Amino acid sequence: MKNIKGYDAIVANRWVRLGVFLVALVVLAVLPLVADPFTNQTISHVAVFAVAILGLNIVMGFTGQVSLGHSFFVGVGAYAAIIPIRDWWGGPLAEGAIVIGFVLSALIPGVLGLLIALVTVRLRGLALAMVTIALPTIGLPLAQKFSDFTGGNEGVSIRRLDYVGADGEIHKGNPFAAGPGLANDQWQYYIVVAIAIAFFALAYFLVRGKYGRAFAIVKSNEAIASSMGVSPYRYKVLAFTIAAVYGGVAGFLLVAWGQFTSSETLAFHNSIDLVIASIVGGAGSIVGAILGGIFYVTVSQIMNGLQLSIYTTLVQGVVIVIILFLLPGGLASLPRTIRRLVRRGRAGHSVDAGPTAGSTTENTK
Amino acid sequence: MNPFGTFVQLVVDGLAQGSIYGALALAIVLVNQATGLVNFAQGSMAVLGSYIGMTIGNLFIPGVGAILGIIIGILVAVIASLAIGGIVERFVMRRFERAEEDTKVVATIGLLTLITGLVGLIWGFNPTPYPFFFGGSESLRIGDVSISVWSIVTFTTIIALMIVLQILFRGTKLGLGMRAVADNAPSAALSGIRVGGMRMAGWGLAAALGTVAAILLASKSQLTPNNFDGILVYALAAVVIGGLDSPLGAVIAALGITILESLAAAYIPWIGHDLKVVVPFVLVFAVLIIRPQGLFGRRTVVRV
Amino acid sequence: MPQPEGDLLELKDVTAFYGPVQVLEGVSINVPDGGAVGILGANGAGKTTTLRAISGTVRAGGTIRYEGRSIRGFRPERVASLGIAHVPEGRGTLGNLTVRENLMVGAYMRKDRRQVQTDIDFLLELFPNLKARIRSNASALSGGEQQMLAVSRAFMAAPKLLVLDEPSLGLAPSTARTVYDAIARLRKESGISMLVVEQNANLAFSVVDSVTVLETGRSVLTGTTAELRGNDEIRKAYLGG
Repeated sequence: MKNIKGYDAIVANRWVRLGVFLVALVVLAVLPLVADPFTNQTISHVAVFAVAILGLNIVMGFTGQVSLGHSFFVGVGAYAAIIPIRDWWGGPLAEGAIVIGFVLSALIPGVLGLLIALVTVRLRGLALAMVTIALPTIGLPLAQKFSDFTGGNEGVSIRRLDYVGADGEIHKGNPFAAGPGLANDQWQYYIVVAIAIAFFALAYFLVRGKYGRAFAIVKSNEAIASSMGVSPYRYKVLAFTIAAVYGGVAGFLLVAWGQFTSSETLAFHNSIDLVIASIVGGAGSIVGAILGGIFYVTVSQIMNGLQLSIYTTLVQGVVIVIILFLLPGGLASLPRTIRRLVRRGRAGHSVDAGPTAGSTTENTK
Repeated sequence: MNPFGTFVQLVVDGLAQGSIYGALALAIVLVNQATGLVNFAQGSMAVLGSYIGMTIGNLFIPGVGAILGIIIGILVAVIASLAIGGIVERFVMRRFERAEEDTKVVATIGLLTLITGLVGLIWGFNPTPYPFFFGGSESLRIGDVSISVWSIVTFTTIIALMIVLQILFRGTKLGLGMRAVADNAPSAALSGIRVGGMRMAGWGLAAALGTVAAILLASKSQLTPNNFDGILVYALAAVVIGGLDSPLGAVIAALGITILESLAAAYIPWIGHDLKVVVPFVLVFAVLIIRPQGLFGRRTVVRV
Repeated sequence: MPQPEGDLLELKDVTAFYGPVQVLEGVSINVPDGGAVGILGANGAGKTTTLRAISGTVRAGGTIRYEGRSIRGFRPERVASLGIAHVPEGRGTLGNLTVRENLMVGAYMRKDRRQVQTDIDFLLELFPNLKARIRSNASALSGGEQQMLAVSRAFMAAPKLLVLDEPSLGLAPSTARTVYDAIARLRKESGISMLVVEQNANLAFSVVDSVTVLETGRSVLTGTTAELRGNDEIRKAYLGG
């Protein structure tokens, strides 16, 4: 650390990083007051999926288990949030219903994730993939079947709920746009982005500390991990559960953002889109989750805007394949790769083999 | 129709549907044996082939008539799939030969998205009819029972194709080479077998097999870019249940799953049509717990 | 290209690396046409790596000439097509294929079907064990039988040079003896040239004309079987007595 020069030194400096973070925080805090609603909604939308993808990064990038069922946790979390709000917000609980919704959106998917992880922790490869695929594949028809509860395909909307106003009359309102002084999109922005930042910070400290190191060891070599007293099973279960919780919270955020959910949220192809976004952003990194969220939201937005929506799927496919060929660590690894190429150019000798997708450190394999 | 007739119809239709899943499952097993990975894009490659068949078929039908035109379409589709499979192996998947497991999975998922996107771009996302020899709703009467012509043709065609493949593998030099490479590639190379070529052949055959299945499916229910997305899940379930290293197991499992699912949907009301997809997964979980290597699979032996 | 007086296989100052680690530092071996040469040395001396350098499975430096032409850097398939049949360490048995199929794989590059059948008959006569199990999966064979199968498979390629990596590995002494008797007979009946890597010097001596000893990646001693067998000092120093 002490002998790094120039650019490396600046980036590695803890105070610089903190400074950048604080500046970003201030910008984020002020932005919605001046930006147009569409921008605010887009940023909130990105935040929703950044959280979802962060969960996926933790289980895929940090412990190397491919999860093709992540949309299940997002969908369950969304339902866990929206149903209490729908049923209780108009009553005496009022805002309490939102809090309950939030807690349930973390708890229920978390418990489910824990149970599933305990069952599947010894599975590998295709078997594990099948179990994760099972989640949305069974979840969606289940959600459709119990449509009295879940609204089936049509879903549940809480944009216009009945509540009793100060004048004793029944009004219709949006639980996520309660107070005066701010527009709907601004309220939603603050709620979503604040929670997202909190959860990102949580993940950051998780990964910094002993958990992060344990995850890394488990990923690189389970045999070595257990000989060091780091139980691979325990940490894989932990990672999967955390991912489920994050997925669930993302579901809550989705509801906060759009006041709507349906069985469509549970669809299998959403899981695939999340996995692709995760890899494009950089599966082993926290910044990668943000980049992945940006990719997830903006690709379809841009394509729709350009009247080229028929190209969307193709663009997604092309981007992921290019990333896997050229930049397996995702967009988040771009600075690292550029630095390496520059160093290689300067030194003139060949360096180690390229990184594998989802790696957090440069390994020679 | 009487209950017996209904039952027979369910079984026959189940066999036909199951043979389509089985074809895709077999293709997945083939590719896994050739290159050691599970190809999530197998279904989309099959769909691509079927679209090619449709376009070529429609191109030739006005000129040479329906039957010949359809045949030409199918032949071109199969040949194109052989080529596409080989090209994908050579130029895309080989790059990931030494990658980690999950990277390979993500690569095939990326391929799936790319191919589906390409198909959607070229041909559109709306359902398109596939020109075929007969319609999907024609049926035969045998006594009291009404059996779908499509089901019979589909089942027999795919089973015949599988037998042909089996003959190819067991009885020809190419098949021998492919099996040798699947068994121990470095050792096969020492005998002068071109490992890369065998792998391309495996991918090509798998793609062609999938294309035939996709064409059969499309003849009944029209072409969409996502035709095989749901089928992929069934095919994977069949592979897990049958055993990743057992071609026969995958096919039998696919047939079994489909028939059981249809019967459950028809005879167990609370499962019905909506939840019948639970059946394959219940079977998957049962197999994973009782016999993880699959019903017909071999426990992996570490060879020196 | 017709080759004037010269050896079938000539290695000179061959080097090889596994990544950054140098495993061969200068290996020189000559195999004359029709001759049989043994490579001896302790574990880790580089014997297997030398064979890998020849068959193209590992990248090597230095000179490797076969029939007068350099084959260094050729891919395994190409080296095989030139008439060098390599039986690798661990035999490379194709377990999921039958015994017969293993032999057919050996003959993969050949086009003369009748001669192929003749060769199969010849080998089955030489190895009655294999004949009895001709239809079994190769993985069901015992260690000794797999070794015989591996050698037979290599022979099926109608090679000019048979390269064997530790045929006695993992075999009980009596089985190893049997295998070597068969190898000796094979050589006698076909006149094929051989390069044999072996840890067990006595076994090697029963088959080869001359021997090169490797030590830490270098060839340190070369001599005929007669010379080395008789020389007690050398035997003690290099061949474990």
